Amino acid sequence: MKKLKEVLYVIERDVRMFLNHKILLFMRALWFIAQISLFGLIASRMVIIPNYFEYYAAGITVTILYSTAVFIGYDIYEEAEHGIVEYLLSLPISRRKLAVGRSIGGGLRSFIYVAPLMGIVLALIGVRNPLNFMLAFFSLFLFAFGVAGMSITIAMGIKSADKFDILMGALDALIVRLSTVMYPKVFMAQANLMYSELANINPLTFASELFRWGAGIEQYLTFGPLLSVLVIVLFFSLFTLIGIIFYERRLEGGGWQ
Amino acid sequence: MTAIPYIIERDFKRFFRYKWWIAGMISMNLADLFIMALVYTKMVKFSYFEFFAPGITVTALFAAAFMIGREVNWEVRRDYYHYLLSLPVKHWELALGRVLSGALRGMVYMLPLLLIDFTFLGLPHPLQVLIIFLMLFLLSLGVSGLSITIAVSTDSFERFAVMRGLTYYLLFFCSTVFYPLDLIKDISAQGIIPPFLAVLAEINPLSCGADLIRSFLLEKPSFNIRLIISIIAFSLPIAVISSLAYTKILRRRK
Repeated sequence: MKKLKEVLYVIERDVRMFLNHKILLFMRALWFIAQISLFGLIASRMVIIPNYFEYYAAGITVTILYSTAVFIGYDIYEEAEHGIVEYLLSLPISRRKLAVGRSIGGGLRSFIYVAPLMGIVLALIGVRNPLNFMLAFFSLFLFAFGVAGMSITIAMGIKSADKFDILMGALDALIVRLSTVMYPKVFMAQANLMYSELANINPLTFASELFRWGAGIEQYLTFGPLLSVLVIVLFFSLFTLIGIIFYERRLEGGGWQ
Repeated sequence: MTAIPYIIERDFKRFFRYKWWIAGMISMNLADLFIMALVYTKMVKFSYFEFFAPGITVTALFAAAFMIGREVNWEVRRDYYHYLLSLPVKHWELALGRVLSGALRGMVYMLPLLLIDFTFLGLPHPLQVLIIFLMLFLLSLGVSGLSITIAVSTDSFERFAVMRGLTYYLLFFCSTVFYPLDLIKDISAQGIIPPFLAVLAEINPLSCGADLIRSFLLEKPSFNIRLIISIIAFSLPIAVISSLAYTKILRRRK
């Protein structure tokens, strides 16, 4: 029980830290609203795809879940830069619990933030099968943890601030565009076969497909829900594990410096 | 000789210190153009790549020129201008230098994307190239001025960030950067979006910049003198207002 409590403290701290970024969160929400109410509405009249608005709104929800789960990497990087890691290590919490707490906290806080926005999107597009949606919702939960683990891994693996920022910027630009978040895979293949091949191994593709399946937007699904769930579970397990191990090891003997 | 070139040089050096921002923006712009626009081309009934290329050029110019406001607001909040006032530089030189350096940052960052436009959409007549450069510089001047005006209007970072974000998203999404004006007007006429958004999209300087390039490179929309008038009407007054506002901040006594 005591062990769990210590992990909970770490999670609570990460959630509180996240909520302190009020302006950043407000701007993200504003971006989300502009994407849906302006770009989504207008683009849906421009493209030949029927019900594109629903398709796009679901994709943007997954994008914002990804981009907020990535924040934990920036937080950890800043802590290393500003000497806060030393303070964290002085606390009566083991390194492992610290690592586990960070990984869970990173995913949980993004989910807490995105849940109301997801609610708005679902109110607009509707849910046809609540049971499917519950499964998709749970998988997205795991997806957020996986992204947090991936972000922690990158943050702890790169020691140069410039390299970290550049890599995260490039990754953010490519991972969203090379997925089915904004467009169905069939059109990606028509534009360039390589794009659709890369989308096949992109976790955002599986997360957005699952969300659409859960909401009943099944027109352009390319993978079955079972495969998508399996990929998300694999992504979550792999990166959460790597993130925890990497974070714990880096904390050992000043490896973050 | 005036001190303006030194101010511009200083601001340029600072601009290239934001490596993460530049790298992120370059990746984003290229990914938007060579991935997103190419895929959308398959989803619409016209070449979205050709339509979007001038749009992303103007977007890049806007983002780079708008960046100066962040630094100016930081200087206002930290009273850094006391140091600037200690320099042997006249107030008007400092104000004009800041607005100009913001504009030149926009031009330098935008240039590779404009060259991509010329490479893929064709090279226009030399006179048209000249008009494009002149108008984009004026647009950049206006955006830099707008950014500085917002930056000096408040001491609060929170208020500045919100005002900056609202301006950014409004100008960005209510423009013809991503979609044609006819489409926006149609949607507005159907009551899907409020009519004022269609008006804003039409007079938006970003729309005018993008449509000006399109009119010369794609001949669609056709060239209209309104595009040039709109850019001048936006940029020159805002450049003057921002210089005056910046000078006022320099002279304030706390």
